[in-house]
Amino acid sequence: MTNLAGVPYYILEFGDELVYFTPYTITLFLLALTFTIFVLISMPERQVDIAFGGDAYTTKVISVSEMRFRRFMAIACGLASMGAMVTGDIFNFTLFTAMVGITNVGIVAAVKSPHVQNAAYQYGLVALSATVPLFGGAAIYAAATGSLSMIELAKGALPAVPFVAKAFLVLGVIGEGMAPFYAAKAEMFRAPGAPYVIMCSLSSLLIFLRVIEVVMLG
Amino acid sequence: MIIRRISHYISNYENIMPLFAGACAFLILIGILLLPIQYNPVQLYPKTIDRNSSLDPYDRGGPPFTQVEIGAQYPENSPTAGLVTTYLTPFSLFLSQVTLHLGTTIVAHPGGIIDEILYNTRGLDTVVEPTILFIAFAIASYLYRKG
Repeated sequence: MTNLAGVPYYILEFGDELVYFTPYTITLFLLALTFTIFVLISMPERQVDIAFGGDAYTTKVISVSEMRFRRFMAIACGLASMGAMVTGDIFNFTLFTAMVGITNVGIVAAVKSPHVQNAAYQYGLVALSATVPLFGGAAIYAAATGSLSMIELAKGALPAVPFVAKAFLVLGVIGEGMAPFYAAKAEMFRAPGAPYVIMCSLSSLLIFLRVIEVVMLG
Repeated sequence: MIIRRISHYISNYENIMPLFAGACAFLILIGILLLPIQYNPVQLYPKTIDRNSSLDPYDRGGPPFTQVEIGAQYPENSPTAGLVTTYLTPFSLFLSQVTLHLGTTIVAHPGGIIDEILYNTRGLDTVVEPTILFIAFAIASYLYRKG
């Protein structure tokens, strides 16, 4: 239990799946929780387009139905991020990561801008194909070690996790969260409506921080 | 300079998908080169295969309502695991008795050991999986209605 980013303060048991709160995971969890509360209580921004060379400007108005849908997706994304931060099970982590990916697409899918939707479509394709290395990595974890519990992996009694399993897991998280490839997300951020779009960025940052801890186990 | 070129290349979001596909292909190649991966024979939720059983591979054998060992990671967290191993409806029972394979298909839904794993020991997974599905439905239906 030395490399679990601290001694767990509390372990919540869901059968074979443990949820544990270490100093590291609880920090990430609180970050996700705080931002989810912000999303819950805040109204979307109104983007203003200014035409250069003149004094014309337009304010983009977000309809109530669009706002509700995007807020719902942002909250779902926050909940998925929270789950991914504290889960102690490899397969559960991959599920929450996949959920983060699909909610990220959902946050911007409602925007009526062809450019934004095009970027979201490309990102959706990556998120879709990233599930293969993501779940493949989890499957190799199970086959090679015989366990999916992070706490058991951290004890060091199980066989070592193959390098390729860890690499698959990281590649899957990169695809779901687009961690170093923010170009597509930058295009998605043209969508009006902070703080919902910021949730895309925050969630991918959080799952990337968590997967660093996960691959250090075993 | 090289960083500027790389960032210029990936700033076009249409290059992201080929880049990711290339990374996947590269990693799969490395994975093939690193074969064989040692399989650990001590696995969770072991099951026996009996090809002559009409409930194969869900048939764990034994009488109902007796607790069997299902090889969970933390058995103390699932004290009732292994009690409900099969619940065949009369129709499922009929199908499993008259045919060799229909007893385990979706029309029969035998439940049993798979459901034990899903609902008793790995219940959180079972909750998250349909959540992903419903969110995907929500996005698809919103886009369809907005259409």
